[in-house]
Amino acid sequence: MSWAGRVVGRSDPQKLGAVEVAGPPRQPDGCLVEAEGLSFAYAEGDRRVVAAAGISLRLERASCTALLGPTGSGKSTLLFLLRGLLEPDSGAVRIDGLAPGDAAFTAAQRSVGVVFQQAERQLFAVSAREDVAFGPRQLGWGADAVSAAVTEALEVVGLPEDRFGDRHPYSLSGGEQRRLALAGVLAMRPRALLLDEPFVGLDPGARRDLAATVGRLRGGGRTILLATHDVDYAWALCDERIVLAEGRVMAAGPWSFDAEGVSVLTANRLRVPSLVELWQRLGRPAGEAPRTAAAAAEALL
Amino acid sequence: MKPTIAQHYPGDSVLHRLDPRAKIVAVTVLAVALFTRDSFIALAVYAVAAAVGLALSRVPLSWFWRSLKPVIWLVAIAFLAQVAFAPGPSFAHFGPFHLSWRGLELAAYLSLRLVVLVLTGSLLTLTTSPVALTDGLAWLARPLRRLRVPTEELALMVTIALRFIPTLLVELEAIMRAQRARGADFSHGGLLRRARALVPVLIPLFIVSFRRADELALAMEARCYVPGVRRTRLHPLRASWGDVLVLVLAVGAVLTASLV
Repeated sequence: MSWAGRVVGRSDPQKLGAVEVAGPPRQPDGCLVEAEGLSFAYAEGDRRVVAAAGISLRLERASCTALLGPTGSGKSTLLFLLRGLLEPDSGAVRIDGLAPGDAAFTAAQRSVGVVFQQAERQLFAVSAREDVAFGPRQLGWGADAVSAAVTEALEVVGLPEDRFGDRHPYSLSGGEQRRLALAGVLAMRPRALLLDEPFVGLDPGARRDLAATVGRLRGGGRTILLATHDVDYAWALCDERIVLAEGRVMAAGPWSFDAEGVSVLTANRLRVPSLVELWQRLGRPAGEAPRTAAAAAEALL
Repeated sequence: MKPTIAQHYPGDSVLHRLDPRAKIVAVTVLAVALFTRDSFIALAVYAVAAAVGLALSRVPLSWFWRSLKPVIWLVAIAFLAQVAFAPGPSFAHFGPFHLSWRGLELAAYLSLRLVVLVLTGSLLTLTTSPVALTDGLAWLARPLRRLRVPTEELALMVTIALRFIPTLLVELEAIMRAQRARGADFSHGGLLRRARALVPVLIPLFIVSFRRADELALAMEARCYVPGVRRTRLHPLRASWGDVLVLVLAVGAVLTASLV
């Protein structure tokens, strides 16, 4: 594996961080998104299906957190709740210290970008450039700002505008389409990025390209929440993890692979990342396990 | 997140177990007969028939209310129109409108008839699954095959369409949510602006639907679907004495109503 989670790529972090949606000033504490006691149930016919049962969490500024959980554990619902696309039955989300009802809250919400599952399904424009421009235009930016945002977003996801800008979205490969959808969200210059199962349904090459893109983004000072059940990519890309099951937080904070840390994964239809398992089998401290195969090779040889 | 179509209430009542063909014919007979005789007593007979059906169906009344709700405005307008413009000696005036006993009577009759009609119709749709309904209609339409109408294929198309409505609604919701997250606004602006706002939703929805249709067609072919071939059924329609009884009761109600 040549992609390295921690590589800061071509995108210049200063530049990415510099232009921001008009929003409230940064809070002194490091927390960007905070949820408290979020509960939500879907009405299915006459039944109610609980998807979030009192979820509290904090996403620190510029952190990269994995949201792990088996299918149906409520990962997508949680992302929708954090972005305000669903109204919680109880509990509240604070973004940048702002609560719902505060004047600037809507603007703060807009600074949270969500990349949906199978995001390529939201592509609709006649060219990659036009599709990425949709979000910034909805935000009411001027033509120059839109075009700069589009160029930058396409660059970050590895679809440089000069080669891909005029392509029809549906003429791109599956992996390219997904990265294009990601660019559509990035162009709005979100400060936080919520990714919903971004690797699902992609071939290994496309996954690797996407992981490299996410790696570049975390270098850009963005707050990232990566919902996935792919523990290997989660381990490679994220410093912390939140384990979700049946709408509840089972564990949160830095990775831990003591007996409890392992069982919270295995008990919830997840597993220990391969490289961590390798380190465990080699009798080395799991906490020192490398994030990438390249780093593992370096440590072993 | 599964939207349910309000039209069918799954259950296991006497009415649920009846052959869909018998229910379709009985309801059609009652509905047509409802309009052939103008008398409160005849209407009462049909109302009683519908009430017995309601009780037998064991469907919560709120579900019948749900199917009544969309037509309640129609009922209200019909009522007001009749009250306002009906003939006969009037007993009160409001500007150009004058109230008459005859008008009130007519308004009450027509509104009640509409309510009974909707309730009778809901008895069919609430106790019959869409698939059974289509099967029943396909069977009843069989004579049309002599005229080379592909009734089986049409029935299959309807069944598939019904099957995919909830799926498409889920899809629609997901796409709208995604575009909303990208700043799309579906609820503000004039008609034109709102219509334009739907473009980012409709294009992906079409593409997903066509892709799905393609996949379904391939999957059906892979499972040896050949159009126009006579097929057997997993649940063949079988009429029982209960079905005959329903038809007899329906005709009985019509006869009673026309004799009283």
